[in-house]
Amino acid sequence: MQLLRDILDKQVVDREQVKIGKVDGLVAELRRGKPPKVVAIELGSISLARRLGVVPGRWTARLAARLSGKRQARPHRIGWNKVRDIGVDIEFDIDVRRTRIFSWQDWLREHVVGRIPGA
Amino acid sequence: MKKLLEISLGVVTSVGGFLEVGSMATAAQAGALFGFQLIWAVVLGTICIIFLVEMAGRFAAVSHHTIADGIRERFGFNAFILPLLATLLVNFLVLSAEIGGVAIAAELATGISFQWWALPVAFLAWLLLWKGTFGLIEKGVSMLGLVTLCFVVGAVMLRPEWKEVAVGAVPSLPHHDTAKYWFMAVSILGASISPYLFMFYSSGAIEDQWDKSYLGTNRAIAGLGMSFGGTISVGVLIVAALVLGAHGVAEVDDYNQLPLMLIPIFGFWGFVLFVASLAIACFGAALEVALQQAYLVAQGFGWNWGEDLKPRDDPGFSLAYTLTLFLAAIPIVLGLDPLKLTIFSMALTAASLPLTVVPFLFLLNDERYVGEHRNGLISNAAVIFVTALGFVLAVVTVPLQIFGGT
Repeated sequence: MQLLRDILDKQVVDREQVKIGKVDGLVAELRRGKPPKVVAIELGSISLARRLGVVPGRWTARLAARLSGKRQARPHRIGWNKVRDIGVDIEFDIDVRRTRIFSWQDWLREHVVGRIPGA
Repeated sequence: MKKLLEISLGVVTSVGGFLEVGSMATAAQAGALFGFQLIWAVVLGTICIIFLVEMAGRFAAVSHHTIADGIRERFGFNAFILPLLATLLVNFLVLSAEIGGVAIAAELATGISFQWWALPVAFLAWLLLWKGTFGLIEKGVSMLGLVTLCFVVGAVMLRPEWKEVAVGAVPSLPHHDTAKYWFMAVSILGASISPYLFMFYSSGAIEDQWDKSYLGTNRAIAGLGMSFGGTISVGVLIVAALVLGAHGVAEVDDYNQLPLMLIPIFGFWGFVLFVASLAIACFGAALEVALQQAYLVAQGFGWNWGEDLKPRDDPGFSLAYTLTLFLAAIPIVLGLDPLKLTIFSMALTAASLPLTVVPFLFLLNDERYVGEHRNGLISNAAVIFVTALGFVLAVVTVPLQIFGGT
């Protein structure tokens, strides 16, 4: 398996097959005397912006913190130990409703979309 | 029998996507100014889009991923962002032009200036997307699109010299207005080979839950549907050449000249048919382009998406088409000339082609996605040809726009 080819940017689904996002970043742990080990994947606009450069990453993190508080100033992480299946999609053994990954969609649903008749 | 029904529905549907303000306006302009001489551009564009649509459908049916998914996943975010932004911009202009097309049809029908119609049109399109299902939009609107067949009927009734039509299908050098000739050729190619068309088609295959058993259906729909759409475009071109040319209208620079096309053939009903064709074709395309904008964003970032879901179940997706529709109405509200915008956005579409076509070469040969159904020699040759064509178009569009644009 190649990390960049087979993991990065692939579709992430939870155990109910809900589309959560794409693998926007990878987190590896450096270990003395041993090869680095992948410990988590990252999701969200902050990790995406970081891939474009240091400055866009910093600005996006600041923007996220201003819009939705300090808790959202870091990218969402899902531990690698939760991975269940790696195919064309990558399935994690989590329930997205119990995470904060969809908090912006919940906000939209509550404050914008849900207020429009017929939604 | 079921397959046959499916194929005929699919063929009708793809006409709905193919024939829109761009193909109508470019074909009419080309016919008026150059007679049958630019038919080859419609034919070439149609052949190219047949291949791309077939591949987009095959990719989706086998891998259960859309082309936009594929570009992001295979090439990474940093490579994806360029086609993403380019396609969002081009689609935005095209959507604006389609809304303008419906608004012009409404102006022709009522006499009330097109600017007033842009927001009602956008609202009606939004309402259909908000409340409707994919099946309703795909089948309902495109069934109505059959009215555009009146151009084919009209072309036959005018009894053109079929030998000359055939001669027009072979590329030839212009005798006058050289820069304009090539600019028209580029715009026709841009109108036929639209990224939104094949990207929407691959999303539609997912919405309709295609699997490998649909590969034959897909091939038939791509081939027949796009040829059908191309035939109607040629019909528009022939009618424009014989009617507008004969009435001394060589340069179509105003939408008000266009309804003249069908009046000598059908009388007053020709006017009604033209207005209905323009309104329906553009409205159908507006729905598809608006949906495609939302598909593109949702698929690119991996959100939940689907036209059959309730908006509250995919808020990001439904907000994307809502914003896109109302923003795209603004240029028309402000009085931007829809015809100029149409021709401009078609040329820009042509220029953006390499960004969305190059990925086909990789995605359709990647066994992890398409397995044994990867491209054969002919399909790969076709992609390479379209890519090369795309690069040529990208380079020549801007100079031609300056020297040959209207």
